[in-house]
Amino acid sequence: MSDENSTAVADATSDERLAYRGVFQRLLVRPEIGAIIGAIAIWIFFWAVSVPFGTAGGASNILDLSATLGIMAVAVSMLMIGGEFDLSSGAATGALGIATILLVKDTGALGGAGLNMSIAIPLSLALALFIGWFNGTMVERTSLPSFIVTLGTFFILKGAKLGISKLVVDQIQVGRIDEGAGYSFWRKIFASEWQRNDHQFGSRDFFYTLGIVGGFALLVLAVHEYNYARRKVLNNAGAALTAVAFAGGIAGIVILHATDNTGGNYLGGIVIAVSTLVGLFGFGWWRFEPVAQRGNLHIDQQVSKSFGLGLGLVALGAISAVTLDSASSSDFFLLITEQGLRAMLFVGLTSAGITFMIIGVRQASTTNPLTKSTGLAVLATTIAAIAFLVRSESASPKFRGAAFSLLLVGALLALSWAVTSSCFEERRFAHTAADNTGRLLALVGSLMVLGGAVVRLLFTTAAEIERGISPAKFSVRIVWFLSVAGVATWVLGRTKFGSWTFAVGGNKDAARQVGVPAARTKTQLFMIVSSAAWLVGLLLAFRLNTLQSGTGDGLEFEYIIAAVVGGTMLTGGYGSAFGGAIGAVIMAISKAGIPFSGWNSDWRFVFLGGILLLAVIANNFIRDKAEASR
Amino acid sequence: MTAPTLEIENISKFYGNINALQDITTSVDAGKVTCVLGDNGAGKSTFIKILAGAHKQSEGTIRMDGEEVNFNSPRDALAKGIATVYQDLAMVPLMSVWRNFFLGAEPTKSFGPFKWIDVDTAKRVAKEEMAKMGIDIRDTEQPVGTLSGGERQSVAIARAAYFGAKVLILDEPTSALGVKQSGVVLKYIVAARQRGLAVIFITHNPHHAWPVGDRFMILNRGRSLGNFAKDEITRDELVTMMAGGAELEELTHELESA
Repeated sequence: MSDENSTAVADATSDERLAYRGVFQRLLVRPEIGAIIGAIAIWIFFWAVSVPFGTAGGASNILDLSATLGIMAVAVSMLMIGGEFDLSSGAATGALGIATILLVKDTGALGGAGLNMSIAIPLSLALALFIGWFNGTMVERTSLPSFIVTLGTFFILKGAKLGISKLVVDQIQVGRIDEGAGYSFWRKIFASEWQRNDHQFGSRDFFYTLGIVGGFALLVLAVHEYNYARRKVLNNAGAALTAVAFAGGIAGIVILHATDNTGGNYLGGIVIAVSTLVGLFGFGWWRFEPVAQRGNLHIDQQVSKSFGLGLGLVALGAISAVTLDSASSSDFFLLITEQGLRAMLFVGLTSAGITFMIIGVRQASTTNPLTKSTGLAVLATTIAAIAFLVRSESASPKFRGAAFSLLLVGALLALSWAVTSSCFEERRFAHTAADNTGRLLALVGSLMVLGGAVVRLLFTTAAEIERGISPAKFSVRIVWFLSVAGVATWVLGRTKFGSWTFAVGGNKDAARQVGVPAARTKTQLFMIVSSAAWLVGLLLAFRLNTLQSGTGDGLEFEYIIAAVVGGTMLTGGYGSAFGGAIGAVIMAISKAGIPFSGWNSDWRFVFLGGILLLAVIANNFIRDKAEASR
Repeated sequence: MTAPTLEIENISKFYGNINALQDITTSVDAGKVTCVLGDNGAGKSTFIKILAGAHKQSEGTIRMDGEEVNFNSPRDALAKGIATVYQDLAMVPLMSVWRNFFLGAEPTKSFGPFKWIDVDTAKRVAKEEMAKMGIDIRDTEQPVGTLSGGERQSVAIARAAYFGAKVLILDEPTSALGVKQSGVVLKYIVAARQRGLAVIFITHNPHHAWPVGDRFMILNRGRSLGNFAKDEITRDELVTMMAGGAELEELTHELESA
């Protein structure tokens, strides 16, 4: 396409005032990036301290807990982006669940309307929409802060739940939705479950490995595509080298599977490592512009300081891990055994050390490519050394296996990044075609990783059942959660309504000035929140059968916390629905993780508060960075 | 001679017993700039609000292309081709340039009942229109908050021009800006004029008004001190009138004798 070429040239020539932003810098601009990193870090933390946390059972637990919280967090995020709060959202979940049960239930003279569910459920949705409309209209008509208006609605709902429950069924709990007409049909929609142990899939591990390995490979290639300058003419020798390396990688995996002794493992590992390096180099040689001027190794004071500090910290971590006695397990501080202290020292010091080394690499990259590559190579060696230390010192097979291979893969990636970045020119200008390819590769890669993980979560194998795996079940509420998050993200990013939401939250007067119907947009946002509350109320009702009249009261702050953790600004106008979903997952991980790791669940709130503060600080920092780097 | 694009005749506005504006007459042609000068409290904001449709005049008539018009709301005025760019209310700072550019009138694509924003078109058009104003924005995903004050005004001006405004009202676009930035905005005003818009430029700074204006109307305490074409008045006369003329001389005497 000739058009493609001309845009590329235009892109390259017209940006003398604006520096090109690198791939990682561009990623940092997303509001939810802090939350994603946080979610991964917290998950690894609990995975490290508790054995069953990393299994399908742990995952189903987290997803189940995040579903109801997440549906609300997504809706509340949208409302907060629009600049308003809804304190009645928690109470509304319970109220709408109870309303549905009362409409369905038939208890003789006094209680219940005894309607068929196919009538009752739309009716309660209408009630939900009315509550949202009421909130929105009150806020707009009175121009009072939504905090006050919805606080009023909160008390009204709370009181109405209690009062009506007592009036109708003379109890503070309203129950037995399963006695209603049409229950069996609607149960499928709101409460069906997937029993993992009933679904065996022989070649599951094949698909899992394919998804994870292939997906990550594509993600790495996507980063390359984003980061390096493209060749004008492709180099076929490079393509051939890539193909050879690919074959080598497959051979390595075959060796690993075929042999079962240490020697075979080492051989397979080395073959895979070498072919990865060769493959990435070949890929670069095929597609990217070679470095014209290598330059000399130049290490300035800043770089050596960061690297010295980093190496020192890593060494300290290693020494503390080796010297502290791993056999003793006496409690000496709160819940922490000496072994725990050892682990914390090790993880804390080494991760701080690696962070400093990464900072060093960034500083080195400003001098010349060779210095940067040398720094990366040192980093890779350090990570590999840590991996071997973990393997030799750790008592738990999880760490000997999973952590060892993860660290080795990390080291390998850093090393290949070092090799390729010393050989190829980094892109300093926008290139639309390369960006599009990169985006496509990243998308396919993420889908493959996701697919691999989902296959592993949903299916079991005969071998696993033989070993006696504990059952895990996935509720349909997870599907609801994911769909709500997906639709909300699309609506916010791609529709008029989404644009208007950001506008009324960011600067209401300016939005109104250009013809955005601000009052209508806000009212619709309140109605979205109350519809989400309706959905959550139904999910709860079908799960629990009987709802207490206090159901949901006080949870509105958890929704707001999840939204804020997900990167939504308290003052409105900035944030994302997807971030709210991730925020909910973070809270669910901490909720599920604390009992899993055998601590008293009273500590949950301390943890929650800590996460909230950390998240707000981190989000502020990232946003400032992002704004400054544009 | 054809009728002016916008003609204002004997407009008055009373708030209760306060005469905010009295007997104001001026006009603006397509491709011309009419400057409305006045100190604080002179009635400039009342004047804008009447033209923007936020308030209704108590007396007098407004004619567009020779026909009498009445504005019921800001939306109505916008629909009839009068776009107002307020100094601080123009943009949503945290939103990207292209979203701001198309805010309230996003181009959409649809499939069945689903409608979504045509992002590619929006970005391309925003970039092209900004280029016409002489601003090269490489990344239209940039939040408007990161643009300079002058560039922000220009996004608003370009937007008004793109959406078919015939008359552009600029409310003190230079008052919060530095010398250089003010110059940039004045250039955009000239660019808008060259694109055939009728511009009403409201300011308290005669030095900004003089180089771009074709017609000058000076407001003082709700009354017009005159409505001059450029060849009927000199720069010095304009400055003196704006500074309050006789009042200023009196003040000078007072200060000297003290």
